[in-house]
Amino acid sequence: MVFSSLYFLFLYLPIVLLVYYITPLKWRNLWLLVVNLVFYGWGEPVYILLMIFTIVLDYFAGIIVYRCKARGNDRGARWAVGISLGLNLAILFFFKYWVLMATTLQGFGIMVPTFNLTLPIGISFYTFQTMTYPVDIYRGDAELPKNLVSFGTFVTLFPQLIAGPIIKYKELADQMNYRTHSPEQFASGVQVFTVGLAKKVLLANNIGQLWDAFLALPAEQLTVAGAWLGVVAFSFQLYFDFSGYSDMAVGLGRMLGFEFLRNFNYPYISKSVTEFWRRWHISLGSWFREYMYIPLGGNRVSKPRLYLNLFLVWAATGIWHGASWNFLIWGLYFAVLIILEKAFLGRLLEKLPAAVQHIYTLFLVLVSWAIFAVEDFTHMGVYLRSMFGMAPGGLTNDNVWYYFTSFLPMLIIAAVASTPLMTKLWKRLPVKAVKAALPVVLLAGLVFSTAYLVDATYNPFLYFRF
Amino acid sequence: MTKRYCIFITALFCAFIGVFLAANAVSPDRTFSEMENRNLEQLPEVDFGTPEKLFRDGNFFNGEFMRDFETYTTDQFVGRDFWVGLKSSTERALGKKENNNVYFADQDTLITRFDQPDAGDVTDNLNYVNNFVKNVDIPVVFSLIPTQACIWADRLPEGAPNASQTDLLSQAQGAVSGATWADVYTPLMEHKDEDIFYRTDHHWTSLGAYYGYTGLAQALGYTPVPLSDYDATVRSTEFYGTVFSSSGVRWVRPDTITTYVPEDGITVVSHTYDNAGNPVEEPRELYVESFLSVKDKYSMFLGGNQSLGVVKNANNPDGPKLLILRDSYADSLVPFLTAHYSEIHLIDPRYYHLSVKDYVEQNGIDQALVLYSVPNFVTDQNLFWITR
Repeated sequence: MVFSSLYFLFLYLPIVLLVYYITPLKWRNLWLLVVNLVFYGWGEPVYILLMIFTIVLDYFAGIIVYRCKARGNDRGARWAVGISLGLNLAILFFFKYWVLMATTLQGFGIMVPTFNLTLPIGISFYTFQTMTYPVDIYRGDAELPKNLVSFGTFVTLFPQLIAGPIIKYKELADQMNYRTHSPEQFASGVQVFTVGLAKKVLLANNIGQLWDAFLALPAEQLTVAGAWLGVVAFSFQLYFDFSGYSDMAVGLGRMLGFEFLRNFNYPYISKSVTEFWRRWHISLGSWFREYMYIPLGGNRVSKPRLYLNLFLVWAATGIWHGASWNFLIWGLYFAVLIILEKAFLGRLLEKLPAAVQHIYTLFLVLVSWAIFAVEDFTHMGVYLRSMFGMAPGGLTNDNVWYYFTSFLPMLIIAAVASTPLMTKLWKRLPVKAVKAALPVVLLAGLVFSTAYLVDATYNPFLYFRF
Repeated sequence: MTKRYCIFITALFCAFIGVFLAANAVSPDRTFSEMENRNLEQLPEVDFGTPEKLFRDGNFFNGEFMRDFETYTTDQFVGRDFWVGLKSSTERALGKKENNNVYFADQDTLITRFDQPDAGDVTDNLNYVNNFVKNVDIPVVFSLIPTQACIWADRLPEGAPNASQTDLLSQAQGAVSGATWADVYTPLMEHKDEDIFYRTDHHWTSLGAYYGYTGLAQALGYTPVPLSDYDATVRSTEFYGTVFSSSGVRWVRPDTITTYVPEDGITVVSHTYDNAGNPVEEPRELYVESFLSVKDKYSMFLGGNQSLGVVKNANNPDGPKLLILRDSYADSLVPFLTAHYSEIHLIDPRYYHLSVKDYVEQNGIDQALVLYSVPNFVTDQNLFWITR
């Protein structure tokens, strides 16, 4: 199930909220677990079994880790953590990457079956989430869950189940057992959710049509201007799609009494690639830092080892984004840039005017999106060459102009919405004005989103592949 | 923000989602949408299947039930037409020049986008026509009708992507050597400033069909009746067609439906089968006026879609017999052709799956015409039936 759908908004959500709030506190986690499984199993009911297997496996692994630690058996605790992580990674590898491995091997003439598996939705997100649990228990960062229901609810929590933010066990452990519910929190959840819904339905889906038009173009019709317009559209689509979904998750979480950390912080205003990654998909970056980069030695290693570590972390980050080799290249592209910035480029950049830093960052990020978005290597080559001036269709043509003028107002809205400008202005309004405007803005967001959802057969959800 | 204000915001949101939950639950399900001219999804029944077949025989564990249910909620959402209209108006306000694949064209015209068709489909369909020509022993005329996106291209937004229909016409003309090609493009283009197409529907008007009729004259071997010989009859001034529906656009003027040819002496019979498989003859008319009171007014011509229709002209009992393999554009063309034939047989390969060759022989057909609009021809998936 996805949030940006009519049956979620007008059927699932009202029922979930209604029953949740009339249920006594101690049964609320159980109700959440039930509706989480409905949410998860909506598309592929069979995978509920896989989910239950993961929950039970990790739950007991955590208990073993805890008991070994308590008895001073560090070796046993490490083994339990290792087995749990190994099994989780094996499941992730099998369901997400097996088809890619098999087809790649078949390309080398080694015949292995592909099994034709469909990807369980959100597997990349919830696997990463559950993997933090034995580690956090081992590190003593969190207590054991109260019971299996409480842990199962953590793993399957529907607001962030399929598209993040990736929440660490230690961040949520206390909230699973004890959380407050207040109108203040609910109302702020409503605001964040509605903003997220509008970002996804009104901005991302809309501007996504512009990207689709250029992605579908046969190579010989690609122009320089068209390639750039297309990749700009994609960068907006991806950002509003993903950050809109994260906002909806945060908002829904608040409606149910949870607090999640924000996942995006205006990434497109960054002045360096390193900064971009501190602002883009924050929960993923922080996961890789805490559970991979630091365990590998972090900053406290020799230079060559540091660069190797960065390569490994970014290769993993890249391939996490999808089972296709272009994502690996995309990750390594960032590894190179971040190593360069660490080595000398970062210090050099700081001495340049802010405008240059912004242009530098946006240029490199846009190029990265072309690698990210075009999976077919031949077409990716043509697309990148087109961006750098060698387009088969020349500089531009009438169709590019048509799309540019058609989408110009949308592009301007998207550009403004990518900066903190509107938030800043909103905060400057006097309280009275905010109070008067807020219901109008919320209702407008909900009404227009509903209109677009009713109209839409066009509602692809980009992050399903992840 | 005070607690009271937060309660208000909370209530506002809950009321919004709650109101639609209640309204959808209370409002009766519709079976058919006139606006969209299609059946709406009904509440699906869940079937868990049987353990013996590992539940694979049900619609639940393969996710089919959920998919149907999603379509059902979208299809049956309250005020569906209102929401669709709101979306298209918003798109226009945001400077868009198209919505749901329909261009907002000049002169209050809505034009369906025409994109480059799949080259394989085009050659396949041309081959089917070729095989049909070789299969039958009568002369065959072949023609394709260019549509608004081609003839009225000057009304499209500047630079709007628009695949060439004239390229496809030349390809079709060259590909089917055994048939006589008839050019309807030239007469339509000559009269492009007249109301030859509907502005809100994908069909040509009776006037456009008349120019098509003049374009077919030489190949079919008749002398067209001059337009001035007819008296025009306005049938409706309130016609909103299919492109109106699909575009979601609600701000254009309605179209006018006009007819020219009188019905005297013309009988129409539609041949179908009942549930038991017995042939049924359903009488129709050249103009079925009851359709003028519903949304689908174009179906006034010959009573809409039919698998096999036979039009007889009692005033011309000795004329030749014509077979047309066709799409719905022929419905408004047939009135003009009646003057030159004793019988016109209409076969729509979407529904007629028996041997056309046998039909030609059994009914003493003298001439055949294959006539489609360009967009229908290049996307049609049923033309292989005509080779049987």
